[in-house]
Amino acid sequence: MDDLKEELKRQLIEQLNLEEITPADIDDDTLLFSDKGLGLDSIDALELIVLLEKYHGIQVTKPEEGKEVFRSVNSMAEYILKRKG
Amino acid sequence: MKFITAYAHLKENICAVNGEMICRRDKDSGDSWFKQIYKQQEFVYPKFHKMDVLSQAGFLTSKLIKRANPQFAEKYKDDEIAMLFANQSGSAETDQKFVHAYRNGAPSPSLFVYTLPNIVMGEIAILNKWYGESLFAVLPEFDPEFYINHCHILLSAGSEAVLCSWLEIAGNQIDVFTFLIEKEGENRSEFTADNLSKIAFAGNLHKTEINANY
Amino acid sequence: MSVRITGIGVVSAIGLSVQENLLALKESRTGIMPFSFLDDDKIFLAGAVKATNPVLKKESKTQSQFISRTTLLGLKAAREAYGNAKQHNQIRTGIISATSVGGMDQSEQFYNAYLDGTDADFAMLGTHDSGSTTERIAAELGISGYINTLSTACSSGANAIMLGARLLMQGKLDRVLVGGTDALTNFTVNGFRSLMIYDEQWCRPFDESREGLNLGEGAAFLLLENEKSIRFSGNRTLAFLNGWANAADAFHQTASSPEGKGATLAMQKAIEKSGISPSQISYINAHGTGTKNNDLSESVALTNVFGDQVPAFSSTKSFTGHTLAAAGAVEAVFSVLAIQNQLIYPNINFSTPITETGLEPVTILQAEKPVHAVLSNSFGFGGNNSSLVFSDHA
Repeated sequence: MDDLKEELKRQLIEQLNLEEITPADIDDDTLLFSDKGLGLDSIDALELIVLLEKYHGIQVTKPEEGKEVFRSVNSMAEYILKRKG
Repeated sequence: MKFITAYAHLKENICAVNGEMICRRDKDSGDSWFKQIYKQQEFVYPKFHKMDVLSQAGFLTSKLIKRANPQFAEKYKDDEIAMLFANQSGSAETDQKFVHAYRNGAPSPSLFVYTLPNIVMGEIAILNKWYGESLFAVLPEFDPEFYINHCHILLSAGSEAVLCSWLEIAGNQIDVFTFLIEKEGENRSEFTADNLSKIAFAGNLHKTEINANY
Repeated sequence: MSVRITGIGVVSAIGLSVQENLLALKESRTGIMPFSFLDDDKIFLAGAVKATNPVLKKESKTQSQFISRTTLLGLKAAREAYGNAKQHNQIRTGIISATSVGGMDQSEQFYNAYLDGTDADFAMLGTHDSGSTTERIAAELGISGYINTLSTACSSGANAIMLGARLLMQGKLDRVLVGGTDALTNFTVNGFRSLMIYDEQWCRPFDESREGLNLGEGAAFLLLENEKSIRFSGNRTLAFLNGWANAADAFHQTASSPEGKGATLAMQKAIEKSGISPSQISYINAHGTGTKNNDLSESVALTNVFGDQVPAFSSTKSFTGHTLAAAGAVEAVFSVLAIQNQLIYPNINFSTPITETGLEPVTILQAEKPVHAVLSNSFGFGGNNSSLVFSDHA
C-alpha cells in the first residue's frame, strides 16, 4: 500500500506537470483539489482519469465518480486496491 | 495619438525587453528554453508548467512587459485592457502532440485544451483578471497594418490599452513579439506602421547578431 | 448605429441551403443522427452535413486538387450568401472567416496514409492551415481586398461578424462577407470525449439531465453592406445587426465561471450598444451547448442581465449539434430567419429545468408572436464570450 502511494505521487507529478513539487511535498491525505492542498482543477481531474487507465488499467466512465476517488492519495490508493481486488 | 509603451521579443536564443537582452538560452541546460526564462526571472506560477508553448510564450512576454511598465495595469479598469494576438500557424505545435496522443489511444484532455490558439489570451486574462475584449487572427505573415487597424477599432470602442502579440512557434522556430499600445506615453514611440516594423525587426537583428557570436 | 445584412447562406446537419434549414427548424426536425467516420467503426451521435466530399467538390466547381471539407462547406455557404455579387472597383470588399479545425480532416487522412506507407501526398498538408480555408473561399469568389481568418474557439463565428461590422462602421470596407466553417473530425470528437463532455445520447441543452454536447459540422456566412455598396448591388436588406460585444471570462481555460461574468458582460454590452432595451428582445438564441457547465453558467448570466424577465430562449444546437467556429454564424443566420419569418425555435429534447435557476426554454415552435429583436450568444474556450443583437430596424 505504501509503495502504491509513493508510486501514485510520482505519477501525479508526471501526469500533471507539477514541476515545482516533489513526492515529499505531497502527504497521503493532502487534499488534491483544495487550494490549501495541491489546488488541482477540472482538467487535472480528467488527466487523473487518464492516469488511472494508463498506469493502473482502471476505467472511470463518469467524471462525478472521480470526486471521492480523487480526494487524496489515500483515497486513490484505496480505490485502486478495491477495483483490483 | 497612440504609443508603443513597452515591448518584448522572444526568439530561438534570446529574450529581450524594450530592446535590452535579459536572457540568453543555455544550450546545455536540461530545462526547456521557456523554463530557463521562467526560472531566471524568478516567476512563481506553477500553472506555467502545464501550459503549451504558445501560452508559455504569452505568459512570459506579458509578465515581462508588466514588469517593465509596472503602473500600466493599475491605470485601467479590468475591462479596459484588450488583447489582439495573431500568428501564422495557429496552434499547430500542440495539434501535432494531441493527434499523436489520440492515435496512441490516450487523448489527453489537457493537450486538447491547448489546441486552440486563443487559449493563450484566456490564460493571460485569468492571470490578470482582465475582462476586456480579445481577438486572435491567423495571418500569412506579421503585418503592422493589421495591428494598427484593429487597435484603432478596439481603442475607439471602450478599450484604453491593447496588449498585442505576434506569437509564431513552429518546430524549432520561435518568433514572438509582444507589445503594449496605450493612448498616452511620454517619450515613447508613436504607434505607426513604420515604428512597429522597426521595433519588430530589431528583434530579428538581435537574433542574427547573437547567432553570429556563436 | 447599425449594419445592414443583405445576404445569408448556411449549410448544416439540417440542410444544404437557407430554405432547407428553415424548413427543418419549422418542422422541429433535428439533424443529429448516429454517425461514424469511414476509417473507424465507432458510432456516435453527431450533426453531420448530409453531403459527401466528392458531391460538394463537384458542385463547387473548384479546380483545386486538395480541398478540405471545412473549405467545401464554407464555400457552399459563402456562395449562397454572396449571391451574384459582382466585383466593382469602387466597392472595397472583404471576407472574414472563422474556423477552429481548418483542414484537419485532410491532415488526418494524410497522417493515416503516411503511417500506412501508402500514397501520402505532402501537398495535402497545404490545406491544414486555418488561413488556407479562407484564402481558398476568397479565391473562388474573387475577393481579394481584405482577407482575415479568426480562431477564438466557439465564439469565432460571432467575432468574425462583429469585426466585419466594425470595419464597415469605420469606413475601411464597403461590403464584407462574414461567417465561419468547421467540419467534423476525429480530432475534435476525441478532444471533447477526453473532456468527458460528449453526450452519447441526444444532447439536451438547458435540461437538468444534460450530459454534454453532440458535435456538428457546417458553415454559414452573412453579407454586410454599407449604403454605397447597396446602391451598386441593389440588394434588399434582410435584417440589421445593431449590437455586438466581446468580453473575457478570466476564469478557466475551458470552464465558464459559475457567476457567468464574461457572458453577462458580453450580453450587457451588446444590448447597450444596440440601443434596444432588454425588454424589447423578442428571442435569445442561446449558446446552449448541453454541457453541465455552459448551460448553468449561461442561465445564471441570463438572470444577471434580464432578472426575472428572461425573454423566450432556446438552443438550436439541439438541431445542428455544436458546429464550433461556425456556430456563431449559423445561429446568426437562424436569428435573421427568426426576424424575417416571425419564428421562435424550439429547444428540442428539453423536459426538466435546471434546478439552480429554474429557467425553461421554448419547447414548441412559436409562429404567432412578432419577432423584432434577437440576441445571439457564442461563448468559447479560453473564456472568449461574444453576443450579437439583430433586429428589423436600423
